[in-house]
Amino acid sequence: MADEGVANHYQVLEELGRGSFGVVYKGIDKTTGETVAIKHIDLESSEDDIQEIQQEISVLSTCASSYVTQYKASFLRGHKLWIVMEFLGGGSCLDLLKPGNFSEVHIAIVCRELLLGLDYLHSEGKIHRDIKAANVLLSEAGKVKLADFGVAAQLTHMKSQRNTFVGTPFWMAPEVIQQAGYDFKADIWSLGITAIELAVGEPPYANIHPMKVLFQIPKNPPPRLEGKFSREFKDFVAHCLIKDPAQRPTARDLLRHRFIRTAGRVEALQELIERKQMWDAKQDRVKLPVFYQETLHTMSPKDDDDEWVFDTIKSVALPKNLLNVSTTPTKSRDPSRVRETEEGMRRMEVRDGPLQPSTPQTVRKATVRRQPSAAAAHQQRRLSTSTGSPRPPVAAAKRPLQTDMSFGNSGSTMRLFRRVPCEHEGPKIHQEQPQEVVNDENRPPSAMQAPIEPTSKEALLGRRLYHKAIEPALDELHAQTGPSTKREALANLSDAFAHLDSVDPEGAYHLLRHLLCSISQDNRLSAALLNASKISPGQHLHRKSVDGTPQSKNRDLSQRPSTSAGVTQNHNIPQTPSRSPQKPMLSASPTKLITSQLNTPLASPRPRRESVVAAPMSTPKPTAERTSSNSSSSSSSSSRPSSVMATAPGTPIKQIQQPQLIQSTPSPQKKEPQLLQQHSAPLLQKKENPPSLQQQLSHPVLQQEKQRRETSSQQLAQQLQQQQQAQLQQAAHRRKESSNSSSHQLPPPQHHQRRESSQSSHASSRSPEKQERVRESSSRELRERAVLEAKYPGQPAVAGMEHCKALSDLLYARWTDGLQHRWGPVAGS
Amino acid sequence: MSFLFGRARTRTNVSDLPRQAREHVVKLDQGPQGKVEELAKVLSQMKQLLQGTHEQEASLEHQYQLVTGMIEEDLLYLLAINLYRLPFDSRKDTQVIFSYVFRFRPPNAPARAEPLALAYVVERRPQVLIELCKGYDHKESAQHAGTVLKELIKSSEAATAVILHDDGDEPGSSARGVGAIDRNRKQTGNGIFWSFFDWIDRGSFEVAADAFTTFRELLTKHKDLVPHYLQTNFDLFFSKYNSILIQSTSYVTKRQSIKLLGEILLDRSNYNVMTAYVDRGEHLKICMNLLRDDRKMVQYEGFHVFKVFVANPHKSVPVQKILLMNREKLLHFLSHFLEDRTDDEQFIDEREFLIKQIRNMPPTPVVPQR
Repeated sequence: MADEGVANHYQVLEELGRGSFGVVYKGIDKTTGETVAIKHIDLESSEDDIQEIQQEISVLSTCASSYVTQYKASFLRGHKLWIVMEFLGGGSCLDLLKPGNFSEVHIAIVCRELLLGLDYLHSEGKIHRDIKAANVLLSEAGKVKLADFGVAAQLTHMKSQRNTFVGTPFWMAPEVIQQAGYDFKADIWSLGITAIELAVGEPPYANIHPMKVLFQIPKNPPPRLEGKFSREFKDFVAHCLIKDPAQRPTARDLLRHRFIRTAGRVEALQELIERKQMWDAKQDRVKLPVFYQETLHTMSPKDDDDEWVFDTIKSVALPKNLLNVSTTPTKSRDPSRVRETEEGMRRMEVRDGPLQPSTPQTVRKATVRRQPSAAAAHQQRRLSTSTGSPRPPVAAAKRPLQTDMSFGNSGSTMRLFRRVPCEHEGPKIHQEQPQEVVNDENRPPSAMQAPIEPTSKEALLGRRLYHKAIEPALDELHAQTGPSTKREALANLSDAFAHLDSVDPEGAYHLLRHLLCSISQDNRLSAALLNASKISPGQHLHRKSVDGTPQSKNRDLSQRPSTSAGVTQNHNIPQTPSRSPQKPMLSASPTKLITSQLNTPLASPRPRRESVVAAPMSTPKPTAERTSSNSSSSSSSSSRPSSVMATAPGTPIKQIQQPQLIQSTPSPQKKEPQLLQQHSAPLLQKKENPPSLQQQLSHPVLQQEKQRRETSSQQLAQQLQQQQQAQLQQAAHRRKESSNSSSHQLPPPQHHQRRESSQSSHASSRSPEKQERVRESSSRELRERAVLEAKYPGQPAVAGMEHCKALSDLLYARWTDGLQHRWGPVAGS
Repeated sequence: MSFLFGRARTRTNVSDLPRQAREHVVKLDQGPQGKVEELAKVLSQMKQLLQGTHEQEASLEHQYQLVTGMIEEDLLYLLAINLYRLPFDSRKDTQVIFSYVFRFRPPNAPARAEPLALAYVVERRPQVLIELCKGYDHKESAQHAGTVLKELIKSSEAATAVILHDDGDEPGSSARGVGAIDRNRKQTGNGIFWSFFDWIDRGSFEVAADAFTTFRELLTKHKDLVPHYLQTNFDLFFSKYNSILIQSTSYVTKRQSIKLLGEILLDRSNYNVMTAYVDRGEHLKICMNLLRDDRKMVQYEGFHVFKVFVANPHKSVPVQKILLMNREKLLHFLSHFLEDRTDDEQFIDEREFLIKQIRNMPPTPVVPQR
């Protein structure tokens, strides 16, 4: 796969857009002079198999139609994958919708072209599965092309069907949601929704929580186009939106529809492009083109002390820097160069691009969010620091996309799914958060020489505090805030904080410390603020595998103001490097024992597991917390992530977190150290991880099932399904058509609200079960061990694992809309 | 594509199609473009007969005639060899034809029987499989051949024919069908399976990624075949694996192959392979260097191999030596290793476990007892 030289055939120009998958640039093929679009995908930020990305490439590369964006090449450059595609200068239909809705004339043309494209795809045995305005691109001449095959499927059999749950909720056909097996007709439904989107600006139910939408679409009669539209248009939409896929016409049928036959020439679509250009010109926002920058920088060779000592040196494996420097000098620069590039790209502003990010939620916000200038400056700083160090800390930035989850993919706030007016300068800070958090673990922080890097413990903590607590909190609050003036104020605050952090992280630390001290001295305040947090992440903390998360820190400070003061003073004592630099508080102070107990990074899994059961809400991910508080903020005004967590166990939000949680399961599961399990006890406990994840995975309601679980895993699968089926039927008022079981694996939110509020009898009956669960947790450990032991040698174990994986995959796919299918679970770690 | 739909009505004799196709394929060597178009037409017709259309189911009788006809004309082999030379659409058609042909079971055949063409290829004409593998030689054919191949190697016999293929016609190679293969014979390293290393390492991204997927399938799906194979050819396999794949300059190859190595070693059916692997000091060295890679995901995947060495209760003396020599460094290193993985409990637990194991090692190497 050493084809890095190919990259030199392309001149990369300005950025066109970005999204969960990476960044799209405009570029020029030097050999032909042709303008192209180049997608850069950072593979290092994806945990998952490259195979899924390959799937998109393989679907695209077997398409040859003027109605489909043409794939040109793909190759690796360092850990970035470049996908070169045809450049379409007109932008996406979603972009073109910004100045206003399309006229019927235009819609008819777009629909006809889409139908031609779909006819081609379908005759090739391909299903697009994500038709929507954002995925329809226009060339400058007005040609309409289908784009983004991230979740497309290739059927080997003409008659075969799919069950995978992918797509974008609002555009999803009922049979896709119900997972009753679907085929090409699913695209037709999405086309109908897209037609409505083009006509009225957004898809039906756009104001409804996407979770609920999943429920509404199969239940309700199909949406209708209403308003001042022609009869033909309404009829066309009605035909697309026939609920029974067997009755729904094919693309070929629809091409004969009156609305389509009378459509004009594609050149008319140039009006839309011009309109958009005019509109852009009128926006006062200055849009500077952001250019691709590839910075060279030399890698300072690593300390020799750093290298391993092997008595027979370099027999098989050369020490790496030797390898890099002497054997392949060009290569050695590459990773860093790429990273540098990445850095550079991060500084760029998010712009509206014709190539929209493909996941629905991100689409909306990617066009909305802007980086505040301070944050940009801040990144600038980071860039400068990173040049000095051998390994810029970016590489581990696993989560520029994960944080996205808290915005849109989680589906936590309805607002995110609507078009937020563009003038809001949303603080996009959280995107850079991950890189910030990461210090290269191979290098003690003292090694960082750059002027603004934090040098003292306080500064380190301050920086961490900012990135782990303040920034996300602000970010989240911003997301929850509606009125533009308030949003602006928040953005200003966020800017100010970003500035403070970049200049004086130590100051930030002291500020917060004083704040917390003062709060804890005031009875009312501490009751209102600190106690709330005390309750909630209490169990949560146990779950946290690593200390130093914002909550835990706040808690330390708040609960024991006196000791915490002592602790902070102790920080100044130089520490042994054996502890992580980020936990000085724990390692240095006399309170070490207590705190570490609280934080239990490595405590026995037992209490942790119990806490899992007791507080199924808690997840190890900060982002997940944000997510959850996001969505429950509508009910709780205090909107402290922690308090929300505490007050809302068992609310549907849980499900939103699951995907992320689950995300981490598959690979460790696969990697299960079999050797260890045979010989050594500690890893035996690890062995149980998969089942324990399964527990987390299963919904509180599903946990009822758990008591019966230890039987066989296949039974479990059935039980789960039955249970879910029952739920669905309940919520759907026992509608008959909800017979398909698999579609209910993810019970939509209103369920549980209903369960818990209106059906109080139900709710009360659950508490003994909960107790039972807790009681059971100890014995479960033993049982699980036995089960797993039994599982391993034979086949049924596989089935069980598969079920677990399948379920997690399903949930994850729902919430990331095929993100996983495309770019790998950027979210997970 | 619309022309396809009109074509079905121009009935030629179905059983005649394979013969026509053969004639055209053979002429590919000499003929100019004209023949290619003829061939494309025939292939497209065949595809349609096998596949049916949205409106019309394929007829079983036609399918049967085509499958037997293709076997008789040796068309599977000819198409596999010439796949890369076919035009874009014909390559796609050929892929569809193959996937239908290899799935076709005569209506009266017993349910458990292998599909007709698959049984034929495995027993009589394993060269078809070999030629499909060679599809990875060309960017044009890689994906199509790969798709067919991945279907085929789900069958244990087909996988055997690929993995145990060896050069030449000597007894024991796969040339005479899967039944003649001698599973205990050591590989010479010339068989088709060894070419995968090159395809994965040197191919363009599309080729390499597809070849790797096939490679992984071959190595992970057949628990009765692979462990024995790996044991028999331990040195050859792992020396190639380590030098070509693990040390590859391609990020994707490197990362994926480390991951696959972990999967292979931790598969219970490969227990003996694993113990042999973690006994070698040089393997540990490779692995420890992976922990120091620039790229976090390489470090992470490397960790999952490294842990096997450390967790092994019967560490060999060379392994113990290396670990002891680097004990302090390792302890320090591991305590800061991938610190940002704060959400990955299993990883954190395992890392702690490894630290403990290394800390508790006896100060001098002890000869393992088992």
